[in-house]
Amino acid sequence: MKFRSFVKDKSFFLLGNILLLLFIVLMLSVMGINLYGSLFIVFIYIVTNASVFIHEFFRKQSYYNRLLSILKELDKRYLISELAEEPGFAEGQILYDVLKITNKSMNDEIAVYQRASKEYRDYIETWIHEIKTPIAAAKLMIENNRTDVLTSIENEIDNIEYYVEQTLYYAKSSNTEKDYIIKKVNLKDIVYSAVKKNSKLIIENRIELKIEEIEKIVYTDSKWTDFIINQILFNAVKYKAEAPKIIFHTEETENKVSLMISDNGIGICENDLGRVFDKGFTGENGRRYGKSTGIGLYLCKKLCDTLGMNISIRSETGKGTTVILIFPKNNMITMEP
Amino acid sequence: MKIVLIEDNDSLRQELTIFLSRYGYDVKVPDDFCNIVEFVLEETAHLILLDINLPYYDGNYVCRELRKASSVPIIIITSRDSEADELMSINMGADDFVTKPFNTQILLARISALLKRAYNNDISMIEWKDLKLDTSKGVAVYGKGEIELTRNEIKILHLLMKNKDTIVTRETVMNELWQSDEFVDDNTLTVNINRLRKKLEQSGAIDYIKTKRGIGYMV
Repeated sequence: MKFRSFVKDKSFFLLGNILLLLFIVLMLSVMGINLYGSLFIVFIYIVTNASVFIHEFFRKQSYYNRLLSILKELDKRYLISELAEEPGFAEGQILYDVLKITNKSMNDEIAVYQRASKEYRDYIETWIHEIKTPIAAAKLMIENNRTDVLTSIENEIDNIEYYVEQTLYYAKSSNTEKDYIIKKVNLKDIVYSAVKKNSKLIIENRIELKIEEIEKIVYTDSKWTDFIINQILFNAVKYKAEAPKIIFHTEETENKVSLMISDNGIGICENDLGRVFDKGFTGENGRRYGKSTGIGLYLCKKLCDTLGMNISIRSETGKGTTVILIFPKNNMITMEP
Repeated sequence: MKIVLIEDNDSLRQELTIFLSRYGYDVKVPDDFCNIVEFVLEETAHLILLDINLPYYDGNYVCRELRKASSVPIIIITSRDSEADELMSINMGADDFVTKPFNTQILLARISALLKRAYNNDISMIEWKDLKLDTSKGVAVYGKGEIELTRNEIKILHLLMKNKDTIVTRETVMNELWQSDEFVDDNTLTVNINRLRKKLEQSGAIDYIKTKRGIGYMV
């Protein structure tokens, strides 16, 4: 708060005072009081008024400056109403009350949306778990009455299952509640389980599978990692080329284990490579081959971030793609001593 | 072997019953979920397949109640698939946990593994056209000759004999091998089949495995 703006604010008050003073001086001279007497009265009047005026300025200045400095230091500005001190003067009190009331009303409004979003997420999760029963039933019906047509239908059902799974993890990824458990797992178990889950897809597409040296201990949630590998495998199959091949390979250094999943598929062009983890990005391949939602890799990235893992991608058009998952080796994650 | 299947979805229950019966299990299904625990205990099943989302009582509760009175093997079949759910079920005393929609081969494998462990019973013998296969010893017997087989060969032969008189596609055979961590490719499968055939022929079982060109194999 600047003194000048304070004075400007008080200009009417000052003007009134000056007029009053002139009037008093006029009155005093009319009443025949001598010059020294009137000067004395004027002096007292000015001193009293000026000190009240200056005192008021400093009081307000110190309050507003404090308020502004708190605001400046806050990284979440909307918390200002929680931290503002109660001022000792009327107009400050109004500001203070307004802040409190708007803050409360905003909190209520946010709570409404939070509840709505949680309800929606809960609904989605319930729905996903519900839909799995009919999917399981349909698959069993096919198994029990196998014909060529039903086998084709089974493939479509597998696709449905894949998308349902993706939806589940999408809902999970934006969940603020923690529903994963990070523990010690053998990478081999996760990879094997993911491969087995996709065995039909890989066998039917006549893909040569090579799993090298992957007996490595990592700290992660096995279900989530299984899902991530699933998505990568699905992509590798979707964008396959001639004589398709998928290779699992690991590298271990002092503080991390890297899992490399390579294919010899059509690859990703250089322009698209930087954006494959963006939500909704489908790129050249997505346009050409269709059926791309731009969600798979985005989700992988998001889940990896939550789990404290790293995901990156290397690719060359026409040669293939390698997805690298990095599992940090650090007891901090597991909270073990 | 008697299996009690506790599942409230009608079509899944029906199909699972058909499916398990086909593999020689006697399946009992309760449809009154009110006195489920009593029903199961009366049936004295060898194994229980249990869903989590049930009317009246939650599967985890049923599992805990059963454990108070019986040590029968329990496999939980559920659509909830997080680590936490799995942990919860295992804590309630379940022996295994399979998530919907399950791979039927995996389910079968889990059932038979659990039965084997719990009752130590020998359902590993299978016979068809004078050939006896003993999966636990890893040998096949034809006439007087005993044929030593490798792990993959046993799996292949077992699968073919289980599905006798029907054609088993190459994909199915590969899939079966994959489920036990043998990620064989097309060529390896051919090599395995040829070696198996040769072994069978040496003990006199000539042309036991027939090739259906472009489709698969049959015994």
